Amino acid sequence: MLRGLYALVLVFGLLLSCAEPAASQEKSGTKEGFVLKEKSAKILLIRPTIKVGAQSTGGMFEPNADWTVQAKENLGAALAVAQGKLGNEVIVAEEPIGAAAAKMADYRALFSVLADSVIRYQFFPGNRLPSKKRKGVFDWTMGPGVADIATGTGADYALFIFTEDQYGSTGRKILQLFAAMAYVSVKSGEHAGYAGLVDLRTGDLVWLNADQAMGGDVRTPEGAQKRIGQLLEDFPGSVPKPGSAKTAAK
Amino acid sequence: MKRMAFPIAVALMATMAAPVQAGNKLIAKQQKVAVAKSALTVMPDREWNKMGARPGRNSETWTIDGDGLNDVTFYGGIENDRTLFREVSKKTKPLPHFSSTMLLTDLPSLFENSYTIALDTQLMTIDAVEPTTFLGAKGIKFSFTFTRAGEEVRRKGEASAAIVGGKLYMITFEAPDVYYYARDLPAYRAIVSTATLGTRGPK
Amino acid sequence: MTATHPALAKGDTVPALPTYSAAYQPQGVDERGLWMEMDEAERAMRDSIAVINDPKLIQYVREVVCRTVGEDRCRTVRVYIVRDASFNASMAPNGMMLVNTGLLLRARDEAELASVLGHEFAHFELRHSLTGFKQRRTAGDIFAWAGVAAMGAYRYGGTGAYQAMRTAQSVQIGAVRSVYSNSREQERQADLLSMAYLRTSPYDPHCFSRIWNRLMDEADATAHGRKQRSTRYDRVSFFATHPTDLERASYLRTIADGMNKTGEDDADRYRTALAPWRSQMLADQIKLNDFEGTDYLLKGLAGDIWTAPLLYARGELYRTRGNPRDLIAAASFYRAAISQDPANAEAYRGMGLAQMRSRDPGAVETLNTYLKMKPDAPDRAMISTLLQ
Repeated sequence: MLRGLYALVLVFGLLLSCAEPAASQEKSGTKEGFVLKEKSAKILLIRPTIKVGAQSTGGMFEPNADWTVQAKENLGAALAVAQGKLGNEVIVAEEPIGAAAAKMADYRALFSVLADSVIRYQFFPGNRLPSKKRKGVFDWTMGPGVADIATGTGADYALFIFTEDQYGSTGRKILQLFAAMAYVSVKSGEHAGYAGLVDLRTGDLVWLNADQAMGGDVRTPEGAQKRIGQLLEDFPGSVPKPGSAKTAAK
Repeated sequence: MKRMAFPIAVALMATMAAPVQAGNKLIAKQQKVAVAKSALTVMPDREWNKMGARPGRNSETWTIDGDGLNDVTFYGGIENDRTLFREVSKKTKPLPHFSSTMLLTDLPSLFENSYTIALDTQLMTIDAVEPTTFLGAKGIKFSFTFTRAGEEVRRKGEASAAIVGGKLYMITFEAPDVYYYARDLPAYRAIVSTATLGTRGPK
Repeated sequence: MTATHPALAKGDTVPALPTYSAAYQPQGVDERGLWMEMDEAERAMRDSIAVINDPKLIQYVREVVCRTVGEDRCRTVRVYIVRDASFNASMAPNGMMLVNTGLLLRARDEAELASVLGHEFAHFELRHSLTGFKQRRTAGDIFAWAGVAAMGAYRYGGTGAYQAMRTAQSVQIGAVRSVYSNSREQERQADLLSMAYLRTSPYDPHCFSRIWNRLMDEADATAHGRKQRSTRYDRVSFFATHPTDLERASYLRTIADGMNKTGEDDADRYRTALAPWRSQMLADQIKLNDFEGTDYLLKGLAGDIWTAPLLYARGELYRTRGNPRDLIAAASFYRAAISQDPANAEAYRGMGLAQMRSRDPGAVETLNTYLKMKPDAPDRAMISTLLQ
């Protein structure tokens, strides 16, 4: 449940991974056998979680409303264009209220934890779990209950997106990781982005792009487009490819 | 913690210069295995991953999908006057100590307070408490709910514990309330039902 | 590090209270950023289970604020009472005021509460949280906000079960994290302004220095219990850039003396308003694993009169630490609580458990009495097992 040494392992692994060639750091995965044919499905776009701020040399995350508003606008616009390239019909999820809002919040929170786990224990070479290392295996799920957030939409899949950007960061972040004995949560990346596609019938994560060192300055239209481009890179419907998980070629 | 970290970190750096052999190991199903560097022995009914890093000297964590999604932690004989796990900062966040004279009814508080202090765990509660037989002795079973600092995921957990020979043995399970807790609780309970204080088996 | 000087210099006069203009809109990028986070946090707060949803208590605290800063100022203040055992109160630039139960527990009377909340309001009126936020380099209030906002998304099944939110910070850290989280200059300004409020309020202005003194003494006790040096006079750490508590308490008292004003403390009204929550707050405090700080606090709350709830709390404190002598002492505290309040089933539970741990055969009878008094005890099965 908590492991101080573990946090250290992760930190140094992350540091080292920056120095490694990108090819050896897996950034996306697809469920074995998953294929999304063009025009074959309805995708529910869940409201993205977008956080933008600055990080002082002292290490504080300073939320920045202007930047976040800009990012939300730009990313929203870029997403509106990009979703047309997903090869399938995209419905934007409505903002729920009441009990449904709590459920939506639960699943959006779970998505962050899930994506983070995929990075740590499958993508990141430093600390893979043996059961996640096996060739072709991409075995992650939100649970079948996730279908509840899509009732009435007729959607087959849900697309979750999370991006967090902290500009002007320094090595202070690493010290913060040392200080945290617990399971280190999603704030470890300075430009972290996750895009995940969930099969609403089973709850399975059929595709995930996850990167904690993303490019693109989301405060600008061009940067937001680049970010969305990266997030949706190799989206199964948009780029035909065999549905096997990419194992790190070593 | 920060001051302690650096020498360990340097050592880790050295070991990690080469491609990393992760410390996580596979735990095969239906095989007896001793855990937490102790006589505590269990036999899982499915495959698990054992995490390389330990919460403390006499503890060990298993997971299926990663400790943020499912976490079984074994405490193998915590001795008198010891904390459940490593303290982040003895100075500002000292943890409570286990005492051999503790009653079983003291264990949920020990656990709860340790979590809230060490992990800045917010909103931790002990939900239910009942007697059980654990390791052939009178034990206590309790369930709990908590949220980690900085997260919005509600987590649920269950624990079984007993004091044997003046030492604390406990197996805990925690997972997000959404889906994972209910799904993996049976696998956890299967582990607990096989727990014995046997002679040390193969690791 | 040059020798520190008190934030308020001799000759500083408490200003006349400026006219209060209506709530302002955030200006500039930083302020908007903060407000945005605050507004979202407040939405989460309203539904958060970390917040005490007791309208009477909230209303009471709000009235104290209004009596302190006046109706004009308190009009847009929204008070939220956060179940957190550390001493803290903060105010966001959008008018949201958070008051920790740890603060409510430690204030002796209404005047003391008024002084702390008034001080926080002064920071708000002077728009300090923004500038302080820009300057702060340690994990500050914004993380506390974020943490609380996160909990807003958390739902329990049942209602009416207020769950503890404990930061598990000692009073030492709590004191540092509280109204001292601003620069020296800001503290000076806020002190002056809050004294201006107190002057026009019904309260005795000496209350301010009193509570700070006790806070320091409690921090000393905590440090002593942990065999650490007290950080009161530590120039190197947190207090390097802030006025030391001792100086602060002193000049606050000096200013109060200079005001030549007497006032009320409304201690009785305060005790009555807090009564329904005191046991819960004491239980939360005991979970912090701060024996000496808590014992100091309990003794202070008792004064000459140890009431049954305070005796019970002391029993819990000693039983939790659980050394052999502690268990004997705990049993005697519980016994005293029972003699004052024979209907207190929990005291029988505590006493029985303390006796059992001491291998005192009297435990059996005590625990059986507990079970008879409370047939629906949640740990009935467990206690019964102990008796077998």
